[in-house]
Amino acid sequence: MPEVDRFISSRIGKALKGLFGSSTGWITFIGLSILIFYVVLAVFAPYLAPYNPVKRVGRSLHPPSHEYKFGTDNLGRDVLSRVIYGARIALVIAFLSVAIASAIGIPLGLISGYIGGLFDRTLTLVMDAMYAFPGLILAIAIAALLGPGILNIAISIAVVYAPTYFRVIRNQVTSVKNELYVEAARAIGAKRWEILLKYILPNVFPSVVVVFSMNLADAIMTEAGLSFLGLGIAPPTPDWGFDLSNGRRFILSRAWWALLYPGLAIITVVLGFSMFSEGLNEFLNPNVREKR
Amino acid sequence: MSLKQYIIVRLILAIPMLFILLAVIFFVLRIMPGDPVLAVLGGKAPKAVIDRLRHELGLDKPIIVQFGDYLVDLLKGDLGKSTLTERPVWDEIMDRFPATMELTIFAFIVALAIGVFWGAEAAHRKDGPVDVAARVFAILMYAIPVFWLGLMMQMIFGAYLRWLPIGSRLSPAVNLKVITGFYLIDSIITLNWTAFKDALAHLILPGTTLGLVISSIFLRMVRNNAVLMYSMDFVKAARARGIKERVILYRHVLKNAFVPIMTMMGLQFALLLGGAVLTETTFSWPGMGSYLVLRIKYRDFPAVQGTVVFFALIVIAISIIVDIINALVDPRVRY
Repeated sequence: MPEVDRFISSRIGKALKGLFGSSTGWITFIGLSILIFYVVLAVFAPYLAPYNPVKRVGRSLHPPSHEYKFGTDNLGRDVLSRVIYGARIALVIAFLSVAIASAIGIPLGLISGYIGGLFDRTLTLVMDAMYAFPGLILAIAIAALLGPGILNIAISIAVVYAPTYFRVIRNQVTSVKNELYVEAARAIGAKRWEILLKYILPNVFPSVVVVFSMNLADAIMTEAGLSFLGLGIAPPTPDWGFDLSNGRRFILSRAWWALLYPGLAIITVVLGFSMFSEGLNEFLNPNVREKR
Repeated sequence: MSLKQYIIVRLILAIPMLFILLAVIFFVLRIMPGDPVLAVLGGKAPKAVIDRLRHELGLDKPIIVQFGDYLVDLLKGDLGKSTLTERPVWDEIMDRFPATMELTIFAFIVALAIGVFWGAEAAHRKDGPVDVAARVFAILMYAIPVFWLGLMMQMIFGAYLRWLPIGSRLSPAVNLKVITGFYLIDSIITLNWTAFKDALAHLILPGTTLGLVISSIFLRMVRNNAVLMYSMDFVKAARARGIKERVILYRHVLKNAFVPIMTMMGLQFALLLGGAVLTETTFSWPGMGSYLVLRIKYRDFPAVQGTVVFFALIVIAISIIVDIINALVDPRVRY
C-alpha cells in the first residue's frame, strides 16, 4: 500500500523500526500505553483536572507553580486542566473524521473496483485529483464553508483522507476480484452484493484496519492545524490547537508554559498513535516486512 | 521523442488533470451544506439583500451554468472580485504570491542542505551514530506540528535571546522599493543593504521552521537512495581504482541517487504548501496562506475559492516542471 506512505504514522513507524530493529512488541506496547493514558484523560477529565477549564481560577499568565502545575493562560484559566480536557476534542474528532472518511472511501472503493468501466475511471480520476491536492488547504476551504462544530470539522478532515481509503480498497478489489474463489462464488450463483460483502470485503479488511489506525495521527495533526488557524471548535472549549494560537499572542511576555504543554500533548498523541498503528500493521500483515 | 515534443505532450496531458482538479474544487465547495451567501451576510439579513448578493455572485443560476462561467472566467485569468475589498482576487493573490514563494524557496534550500549532507553522511556509515541521530530527528520532525515548532523558535530566538524578529517581512522603520515582491531580490537590485539585512533577519525563523519540517523527508530519501547506490558495482569499481571515499560519496553515489530524489521532491511540494499556510499564520507572514485564513474570517468567499484554485494551479505547474526536469536529466523518461 504505497498510499499509506504519506501518513505521519507510516513515516514514524519506519524510522522507529530502523531504530529498534525487530522489537516491534515494545513499540506497540508503548504506543498502546500512551493511547490508554489519553483515553483515560479524556473520559475522566472532570475527575482528573484540578480546575474548571473554562473558568478564571487565578492571575493571568501565572507561571507554573505548586498551585498551577502548568501555569495559567491570559484569562487566568488553568493550563493543565485545559490540556486534560483538550484530549476530548482531539480524540473525538480524530475517531469521527476517520470513521467518516472510511464510510465514504470504502464503499466507493469497493463498488468502483468491482464494477470497473467508465464509472471506475471517472471516480479514480476525481479521487486522484483530491489526493494530489494539499490536504490542509482543502480542509481549510471546507471548514470555512461549514463553520465551527465537531461534526463539521470532522467532515472537513474526512474529505481529505477519503481518497486514501478509496485508492487502497479499489486497488485491492481489482486485484482480488479475479481470484479463483470469487470466480467460484460467481459460479455457484452468488449475487453481486454477496460477492462484494462476503468474499471480497473480508480479504481487504486487514488493510482497512491498518489505514484506519494510521490515519488517526494525521487526523489529530490536521485538527490541530485547523483549530490553530481559528477554524476549529468555538471557544472557550479546551482545544490544543486553539490554545496554541491563543498563547501565540503572549510570546513576547515569555509565557512559554501556555505553548509548551498543549504542543507536547499533540506530539505525544501523534507518537502514540503512530507506534500503535505500526505494531498493528506488523501484526496484521506479518509477511510484508519492510527492508531497512 | 525529442525534448520539445515531450514537453508539448506533457502540457497537453496536464489539461484533463487541471480540468478535474478545478471541477473537484468547484463541486466540493458547492456540495457542502454551507451557503457562501449566508456565510457572508449571516442568517438575519433581509431576503432582498440575500437575493441581490446571490445574483451578484451568480449563485442564482443553474449549477452547470455556474461551472461554465467559472471555467470561462478562469481562462481569462479572472478569479472574481473580493467581497471585502472589491478588488480582483487575482491582483490580491499576486501581491502576496512573492512572499509565499520567498518563504518556500528559502525553506526548500534549508531542507535540501540538511537533507543532502546529513542523508549522505548517514548512508556513508549506515547504522552509525549519524544514521541513528537522523532517525531520531526524523521521528521528531514528523510528530511536531510545524506551527508549534515555529512558536518555540519565536519563544527562544525572539522572546528570550532577542536575536531575530518574530513576525512580518520587514521592520516598519525600513523602507524598500518593491519591484519583484521578493524582498531579498528587491533590496539587492536597489542596493539597499539595510533592507536586505532586515528582510533576511525576518526570513530566517519562518524559513528554517518550514525547512526543518520538510528536511526530514529529504533526509530519508537521500539516505535510502544513497544506501541503494552504495550496493552497486560502480562503487566497488571506484573503490578498486583507489578513489577517495569522500569523492565516491559526493561524485558517484549522490549524483546517481539524485534522479529518484528529484521526482519525490516534486511530490513533497503539496506538503510544503500546507505547511506554508500554517507557518505564515504563525509568523504573520503576509503570503497567500495568511491571506486565505484572513479572508475566511471576513467570509470573503470569492477570495477563498480563488486562493484554493491558485494553489491547485501551483500544484499542477510543479508536477509539470518536475517531469520536464526529469526528462532533461534522464533521457530514458522521454521514451
